[in-house]
Amino acid sequence: MSGHRGVVSRRGPQPTGSYPHAHIQGRMVWVTAQAGRDPGTGELVEGGMEGQLDRAISNLEAILDECGSSLDRVIRTQVMYTDPADVEAMDAAYGRRFKAPLPVRTSWGVKFLAAEPGPEMVRVQIDCVAELNRGL
Amino acid sequence: MTKDSTITIKGAPEPRGPYVHARQHGGLVYVTAQIGRDPKTGDFVKGGFEAEFNQAIDNVEAILKAAGSALDRVVKAQIEFVDEGDLDAMNRIYGERFHQPLPARTSFGAAFLWKGAKVQIDCIAALE
Repeated sequence: MSGHRGVVSRRGPQPTGSYPHAHIQGRMVWVTAQAGRDPGTGELVEGGMEGQLDRAISNLEAILDECGSSLDRVIRTQVMYTDPADVEAMDAAYGRRFKAPLPVRTSWGVKFLAAEPGPEMVRVQIDCVAELNRGL
Repeated sequence: MTKDSTITIKGAPEPRGPYVHARQHGGLVYVTAQIGRDPKTGDFVKGGFEAEFNQAIDNVEAILKAAGSALDRVVKAQIEFVDEGDLDAMNRIYGERFHQPLPARTSFGAAFLWKGAKVQIDCIAALE
């Protein structure tokens, strides 16, 4: 496949800025960072770091599927999080969703992430680069 | 068909989470962010920012070598560090370790890093 294009899926939380969910170029798909927002309501899910990261990875998974890829084809992820006390919960939620072959990962602490209505704070976001399915 | 494999080596600190050291894909190798942990003990090296950053680059170098690449084939590097007072030391050490053709680079201050690390560096490099 040649060329490149942006992809917006109905199965991911609707973008709140000038970005698609993903961009396909060649055999790779670059996915916009996802937070733990429910794709139906757009609201942040409950459950702190683990709930948010699990939902964020589900959003990545839905977007990858729409693009013709999947979590097991992810090469690299970036994880940004707001509280150093969340690191174990971050690894636990992440480890439940990503299986071998594991991607490379860069994670770091940030001062803040996207603002959300309501009392919950966005504690984590994750982006990724993945390969398209072989058949595509 | 593109080659695609994971790499985790003994010459770099054992992963303390669900990730591998590197992935080869499409003629490139993607390296997980490395911090200044000694590959033998797993502990942070002593000596502050400079020692940590040099060790982190040593770890990246060891991973690249195992993957069939090298520091002089890095296309893009990304550096996160915690204290803006370390900026000059970061640039100096980076300049001592990376030579022409220099990679593209993104660096920025992070609010915090894993277990109090002062700096980390990842990269994407071309395979030999």
